[in-house]
Amino acid sequence: MTYLVAAALKNDLAAIRQSSPEVWRQVRRYNLPVQLTLAAAFEVTNAASADPARVAVVSLAPCQPGSADLYRWGQVVTAGMVNGNLGDTRMNPTQTLHAVDNLAMSAFAIRYGNHAYCLGLGGAAGQAWAGLEAVQERLAAGQETEALLMAGDQDCAEDWANGTGVALLFSASPKPYGPLGQSVRLVAVERQRRPHPDSTRPHAAAGLCGLLSALAAHDREGAALSYAVPLEDSDGVDAVTVRMEVSR
Amino acid sequence: MTGERRVVITGTGALSALGATPEELWSGLLEGRSGIGRVSRLVTSGISVTTGGEVRAVPHDRLDRDREIAERAIEDALVAARCDAAECGFMWSTGLDTFQAGADGFVHRSAGLCFTDLSSRFRYPRRMIAAACASGTQAVGEAFRLIREGRAEACVAGGSSVMLTPFYLIGFAGLQAVAVDYEGDEPSAACRPFDRERRGFALADGAGALVLETLTRARQRGARVLAEVIGFGMSQDGFDLNRPCDDGAGAELCMRRALSDAGVAPGSIDAVNAHATGTFLGDLAEVAALRRLFQDDWRRIPVSGMKGAIGHAMAAAGALEAIVAAFTCATGIVPPTVNLSEPDEGCELNHVLGEPLFAGARTVLSASFGMGGQNAAIVLKRAEL
Repeated sequence: MTYLVAAALKNDLAAIRQSSPEVWRQVRRYNLPVQLTLAAAFEVTNAASADPARVAVVSLAPCQPGSADLYRWGQVVTAGMVNGNLGDTRMNPTQTLHAVDNLAMSAFAIRYGNHAYCLGLGGAAGQAWAGLEAVQERLAAGQETEALLMAGDQDCAEDWANGTGVALLFSASPKPYGPLGQSVRLVAVERQRRPHPDSTRPHAAAGLCGLLSALAAHDREGAALSYAVPLEDSDGVDAVTVRMEVSR
Repeated sequence: MTGERRVVITGTGALSALGATPEELWSGLLEGRSGIGRVSRLVTSGISVTTGGEVRAVPHDRLDRDREIAERAIEDALVAARCDAAECGFMWSTGLDTFQAGADGFVHRSAGLCFTDLSSRFRYPRRMIAAACASGTQAVGEAFRLIREGRAEACVAGGSSVMLTPFYLIGFAGLQAVAVDYEGDEPSAACRPFDRERRGFALADGAGALVLETLTRARQRGARVLAEVIGFGMSQDGFDLNRPCDDGAGAELCMRRALSDAGVAPGSIDAVNAHATGTFLGDLAEVAALRRLFQDDWRRIPVSGMKGAIGHAMAAAGALEAIVAAFTCATGIVPPTVNLSEPDEGCELNHVLGEPLFAGARTVLSASFGMGGQNAAIVLKRAEL
């Protein structure tokens, strides 16, 4: 069984800096998507995890290039190539970290001394649902009792300012999900292949935010929630439905 | 493990600095050749690193090079296995984004979009693996796990990377991870795993693809089985973003998990396909991990690494190494570690030097340890059908 026990969504770096200086201290060296992801992950873990060192971790890398700094640096390098001289070009080693494709997963492991199961997924369109399935598979395997799914992305490659980080903590045993005060069981992630692949939105976190919004709007106790993932949040190949059950 | 859910490898595809097929990769390794060389277009750019492992089969100025390299390896693996993509799941790492100079200036291609392009013809599960240098091994391991658990019948697994661009060469040079040029250097010897004169890795392009399926399915199809996958483990160092634990604890943990998953004692391993990047700290940590894992058996178990021959192809590295490990299982032969002539103090293992070793190896451990401390290992075994 897989129960959602806590979730957090972050999109305001200034607010994190102001209200949670300790979190800011721990994430400030990273790039925007990783900062937001970690802030969300720390919040749910500190609030609801029984043992953060033993949580199974499934982490989605950002789909956008590591950071706006890297993107700009890519332009500098390319201009140098066109001009035929890169001899004086140097990279800020701190920004090299932004290219680590699952930096949030590594940083989370360091923060909590976590050596449990870990799965690093890429931020390609629709991978959030693969992450949700991986969480369910792992808790079903019974080797961990909690699993974290986290993701973050910036909204476009050149933009430092706007992005989203999201984290969902799951448990193998029923516990109330904070915002609803009721248990929320992840029943299944169902897929049906579309007749033709369609275009999608490459964003690691957006789909999970949509799922959380649907859950927040679902106030009928005992009723099943069948969340049809919008096409833009899928991988464009499968029609995805997330089935959840809310009960006291 | 039940007979019904045994998982075997029935097809491979490989593009590397040693050629455009798995057979060319294997024969190059057995001959002790290095495919690493000076890259002329980099020499003219004025950067401090001009050596690397080029995939010559795909022109470097193709802007969809990331997709083309991957697609060719995938197609070769499917053809070798006589499989259709629509029958297979897809576990793949497209590594990092590519940044190139096109006719109209800056061209950025997202790894995520490349994965989406590659994956749409496959059936579910389709997972994009992102675990730094451990991605290729993790992709193969995930495919193995999903097939063994009955969540898929067959998968194409592996990874691809386009790294030989100034963007990454300058970046990794800044981290002091790659072998930078020096006066009078020998380009083909830029990467020297475990050697006392090692000075970092050579970046490389590449792609490695494997078709994994249940033994039952392979038998029904009359497919040629190259090797069996019997175990998978992963771990995180949880230590530092830029360097491994000094004692290799994270690396040891993932290898122990893979062996435990396979139900194999460390002493039963016949050969190791090592990560062996040729970095100062990485090699020391890996040796420490292997020696603790194998206890006194470390003097007996042959260890071989292939990045001295093809460079470090990042997301593709683990998949290419899995292919070579499968060839070792099939033939019993362990290739030499190219460019290793004098193991450094602290790097003593039973290295395969100079010539291939006819070891009769049947069970092989292949491991990858990524930047950020993301680790993965698999255990392969000679197919006994």
